Amino acid sequence: MNMRSVTVESSIHARTLKVRDRVIGGVLIFFALLVYLAFAAAAAPETSSTFIMSRGGVVRGAMGDVVLPSRVVLTVVSVFLAVLGVALFAVGSRGRSGLFLLIGGAGLVFSFLVFVSFDKRINFASLFNSALTMSVPISLGALSGILCERSGITNIAVEGFMLVAAMVGSIVGSVTKNIWAGLLAAMAASCLLSLVHSWLSIRYKVNQVISGTVINIFSLGLTSYISSMYLQNIQALNKTPRFPTVSIPVLADIPFFGPVFFNNSLFVFGMIILVLIFNFLLFRTRWGLRLRAVGEHPKAADTLGVDVFKTRYVAVLLSGLIAGIGGAYFSLGSVGRFDEGMTAGKGFISLAAMIFGGWNPIPSFLAGVLFGFADALASAVSILGSPIPGQFINMLPYVITMVVLGGVVGKGVTGPASAGIPYEKE
Amino acid sequence: MKKLMNCLLIAALVLGVAVLSAAPVAAQDEIKICQVTDLGGVDDKSFNETAWNGIKLAEAELGIKGIVLESKSDADYMVNIDQLIDDGCDLIVTVGFMLQEATATAAADNPDVKFSIIDSTVGMDNVVDQVFQTDEAAFLAGYAAAATTKTGTVGTYGGMCIPTVTIFMDGFARGVAYYNEAKGTDVKVLGWDMEKMDGTCVDSFEDLDKGKQVTLAMMDQGADIIMPVAGPVGGGTIAAIEDRGSGLVIGVDSDWALTYPDNADIVLTSVVKKMDSTTFGVIETVVGEKFAGGKYVGNLENGGVAIAPFHELDEMISEELKAELADLQAKIIAGEIELNETYVQ
Repeated sequence: MNMRSVTVESSIHARTLKVRDRVIGGVLIFFALLVYLAFAAAAAPETSSTFIMSRGGVVRGAMGDVVLPSRVVLTVVSVFLAVLGVALFAVGSRGRSGLFLLIGGAGLVFSFLVFVSFDKRINFASLFNSALTMSVPISLGALSGILCERSGITNIAVEGFMLVAAMVGSIVGSVTKNIWAGLLAAMAASCLLSLVHSWLSIRYKVNQVISGTVINIFSLGLTSYISSMYLQNIQALNKTPRFPTVSIPVLADIPFFGPVFFNNSLFVFGMIILVLIFNFLLFRTRWGLRLRAVGEHPKAADTLGVDVFKTRYVAVLLSGLIAGIGGAYFSLGSVGRFDEGMTAGKGFISLAAMIFGGWNPIPSFLAGVLFGFADALASAVSILGSPIPGQFINMLPYVITMVVLGGVVGKGVTGPASAGIPYEKE
Repeated sequence: MKKLMNCLLIAALVLGVAVLSAAPVAAQDEIKICQVTDLGGVDDKSFNETAWNGIKLAEAELGIKGIVLESKSDADYMVNIDQLIDDGCDLIVTVGFMLQEATATAAADNPDVKFSIIDSTVGMDNVVDQVFQTDEAAFLAGYAAAATTKTGTVGTYGGMCIPTVTIFMDGFARGVAYYNEAKGTDVKVLGWDMEKMDGTCVDSFEDLDKGKQVTLAMMDQGADIIMPVAGPVGGGTIAAIEDRGSGLVIGVDSDWALTYPDNADIVLTSVVKKMDSTTFGVIETVVGEKFAGGKYVGNLENGGVAIAPFHELDEMISEELKAELADLQAKIIAGEIELNETYVQ
């Protein structure tokens, strides 16, 4: 490539960036108008919005309610968004337009919360805590998918893994009355299914989407059958103890942040630790480099002496173990019992989070939290009773997803190059 | 060789699925009573299970053969009904509003086949519609909740905001409002707005975790008694109350103090729909060859709906409240208390 074409390319790049800045600037100005005309204008001068900053039943780190003068706050947010938008239009963002959109989105969501709590009280702490908790199965499922796909094996069977893990975890937890035995059994069951997936897709080179689909259907059939034959009739098989809530010393006493982040089910802390560990393993170790190489260009990796099959087997089995923890969340972490189809499609949502996060653990985790937040927000708003019909509020999670997918991601993120292609050794 | 193994493995998996979902085959001369469930499945601790109990009762007492097919997705309704028609079922019981369209289509195409749909109105000669004036019983539960709450706030949420679900929520809210008017109190209801006829629905009959999170959110907004109208998702509400160590739940469809025996100490009461007795009644007409299409409305008067006993919490409930509830029940039966006319069956 000569100098000339490089200059041309970079000037094209600069131009698209400029267009992007302008579009996002326009979006921010639209947000500002929306906040002012739809929200601020609806508030009487004396209207106030109350945010409860403590979770019910949690004493540590409790703090008083925050009472905001709705109209003033909304006007300030609106002006702030407008200034941000105009700045983007006039000055540009130097390639950081995604950040501006994120701030704009946060401003809009905040204004919406102020708006729905006109002369009412909304529990702010509960909202964020619920978002974090609901993200556990999504983030773990996404991590499971990432490990598998980074090594070149497409994995749409996360839902099936989690469903079987949830059931086995509940049965073993109920019989032994031991949460750790339940968790181990859940991981083992999910790992066994992932072994089937790895055999089918590595050894027998079956189309990996079909293999995943078959495992999902099999898991649904198996769990529904066992559930209706035994679990619903015999209480002793379906009443497991749950993982306790743990509060971290000192940190749990911080007002607001303590109850929201540092007083949670063990699953929440486990999820965060796993995401950090695997982020390190994937991107900072030789093992991770080899795994990614196998997923991008297996032939090159093979030529350099990496055992492609072994690397893929290990990745798929690890993926199964992690999905097992995600599945155990439903029975051992959340409700202490198993019911048919209780994973409720979270395995598929986790795959969306995986793509959303560009096959990287930390962004995918954040995507999981965003999905969880959208869900929690929809519930909170509908419980509070808002002027917007329930059906529209239930659309919120999807609207937020589309906005972020289109605006923040939207740069043509592609997955591992060899995902889904069986490797044929010559 | 590899290809062969490959085929065998897939065949094994597919066979496994097929075996698990296959229906038992009945002998030729028996009367076959067949049920198609909605997505909740036959063990939903809710209307599918209660209807199936009616069929099992008929198996024991009338010597019929019961068959059930579970629907795993919306696409299964029609397929399952068609399969049962081919099986030569003498009565096909379809459960739920979700199966209304499929049932109406099948009944129109097969005028000789007998159907009975639960919780929905089809209005055809070969279909018995089993519908329930559930808001009458939910009204009593709402009144009891308003009298029992310590925080002055109660809550309810639905699986999906469809009429057979929201009728519970509306009756519940009206019961609370009636209590407020009678006693001059201001007990609030979260999750249902009587004027807008709109409320909180989790959009699932399977997602127990969502039910738990919604319950926690309602409790964080001050509610201490929750009525989940969402089938098995209500298990999430029980878990949330266990976690918090306070609060009560009001069951729906069946008596939850019996369905969840380990949690009977937190079940205030239940709004019971007796699909088992109505289904049994329809089966009797089939066995006695007196089947006729039409509508069967279960209400407080004929015992098709009721509130369950207080069981373990009986001592907590004052004799005065029990007398008031009995009085209200008489007034509803006599038509002296008007409920929402939208929901009149």
